[in-house]
Amino acid sequence: MKIKEIVTDFFAENAPFIFVVPAVLWQLFFLYVPLCLVVYMSFQYGAEITGFTFDHYKLILSSSPYFYIIGRSVVIAACVTCLCLMCAYPVAYYLALKVGRRWKNVLLFLLTLPFWTNFLIQIYSWVFVLDQNGLINMMLLKLGIIQEPLHMINNTGAIFFVMLYYYLPFMIMPLYSILEKIQHDLLEASMDLGATHWQTFRRITLPLSMSGIKTGVFLVFVPAFGEFVIPSIIGGAHHLFVGSLISHYFLVARDSQLGAAFTIVSGFVLLVCALLFNWLCTVPLQKVQKAEQKELAS
Amino acid sequence: MKSLSSYMIPIAVGALYLFLYIPIFVLIVFSFNANAFTCAWTSFTTDWYADLFASTEVWHALKNSLIIAFSSVCLSLTIGSSLIFFGSRDTVKRLLPFFYGSLAMPEIVLAAGLLSFFSFFIVPLGAMTLIAGHTLLGLGYVIPILYDRFSELDESLIEASYDLGATQKQTFFSIVLPLLMPALMASGILVFIISLDDFLISFFCAGASVQTLPLYIFAVIRTGASPMINALSTIMLMVSSLCVLLFSFVHVRKLRTPE
Repeated sequence: MKIKEIVTDFFAENAPFIFVVPAVLWQLFFLYVPLCLVVYMSFQYGAEITGFTFDHYKLILSSSPYFYIIGRSVVIAACVTCLCLMCAYPVAYYLALKVGRRWKNVLLFLLTLPFWTNFLIQIYSWVFVLDQNGLINMMLLKLGIIQEPLHMINNTGAIFFVMLYYYLPFMIMPLYSILEKIQHDLLEASMDLGATHWQTFRRITLPLSMSGIKTGVFLVFVPAFGEFVIPSIIGGAHHLFVGSLISHYFLVARDSQLGAAFTIVSGFVLLVCALLFNWLCTVPLQKVQKAEQKELAS
Repeated sequence: MKSLSSYMIPIAVGALYLFLYIPIFVLIVFSFNANAFTCAWTSFTTDWYADLFASTEVWHALKNSLIIAFSSVCLSLTIGSSLIFFGSRDTVKRLLPFFYGSLAMPEIVLAAGLLSFFSFFIVPLGAMTLIAGHTLLGLGYVIPILYDRFSELDESLIEASYDLGATQKQTFFSIVLPLLMPALMASGILVFIISLDDFLISFFCAGASVQTLPLYIFAVIRTGASPMINALSTIMLMVSSLCVLLFSFVHVRKLRTPE
């Protein structure tokens, strides 16, 4: 009897704590401990020989191929993000502010539908379209525009194109949800006060949608930087990116120590990119705003 | 001039939708093509569908995927909702950034970390390790979504329930739970889709014993695709669009009933 009482008392008193623990433990064990382990491994000699070493970092930081691979990933991810933003903004703007309710639902449904299909299949379908005896080449040959099939796959351009295709909805969605919250009154007021379309966009719409832009850029840039599947299906085996090299070290070469060091270095580069973007979003923008305010005051 | 610019954006939007849907249409059309090697249309056939239904590998992979997805949904919903329901608001708010970690890094880093974790502690790779990884991914979505809905909850409703003499249990089951049901459903479906669709964590942590549907598809694509994949994707597209339509229909009806 006594023991039972003690147990129930313990549960009653510590219930909040007990139910919070599993989530925290799960996150700790399967996210933070593995990350620390990766850091630890990157300083180890190898699987058999234990000992502290900087050798892997020295190797990565002193040889140019690693720099090329990281640089290539940064450039392609940045280009995909920029182009996604430029394509997605008008679409999100149109969906959020210009379309009637009925059409809006239909268009949104059509936009989310590809999300529900397996993404490998989406990517594979581009192989089908772009391949040497794929759809486009077939059509062009039939029409007599070309005599030899074009090489449209297994190059960086194709990887870029398919990445743009895949990540576009990830940019449209956050932009749409932030633009939808903008009140029409604000835009109308701005127009009533004599602002042009461009001024309204520049002074009202763009600043209000800044957080959506940030989310979208984040949602596209981070996975695009570590992309593994698209280069390996579209790009053949010759185009190495950060993701392909990490998976090569961990799964093929079984050199987890060097792979861990490379993961840490590229993670650091990603962090620097994120901080740089954040700085770009705040500091120059504030400067411009301050200058404008001064102009208005004088 | 104005008429031109007012037509520009709709045309651009239409072009973008075309861009999003071209590959999907192509895939569907050519799942009925008898020619297996090129895109040249020879004749209409449903052979690939017959092949698909005859293949045991596909169904085995699908079964594995469904089991893993279902377990990850149950686990992440249980763990996530117990944190949200029983943790005090301050605790949850303070812990929230802790759960964003899995979203803030590329999935490949996560997968590499999990693989080194499992091999360091000599955990055999298989369905269990996949469930652990997918649950981790799921928690990153479940906890923020549930927290959002929970903090919007009108506390006066709970107080009213207590004032009217309901016990804690009654309040929970007849007030709190029904109000949070849409959020639970939505995040559950999201985790299910994420788990079913996940490739990278499965690729790293599945080992040789378990094959999920994405792993099977990847293997087939890598070794030279067969139109069977087209047939499979057509069926998956049909099923998923039916689910979305059904879901949005239920959702819309629910929204309309109060009026």
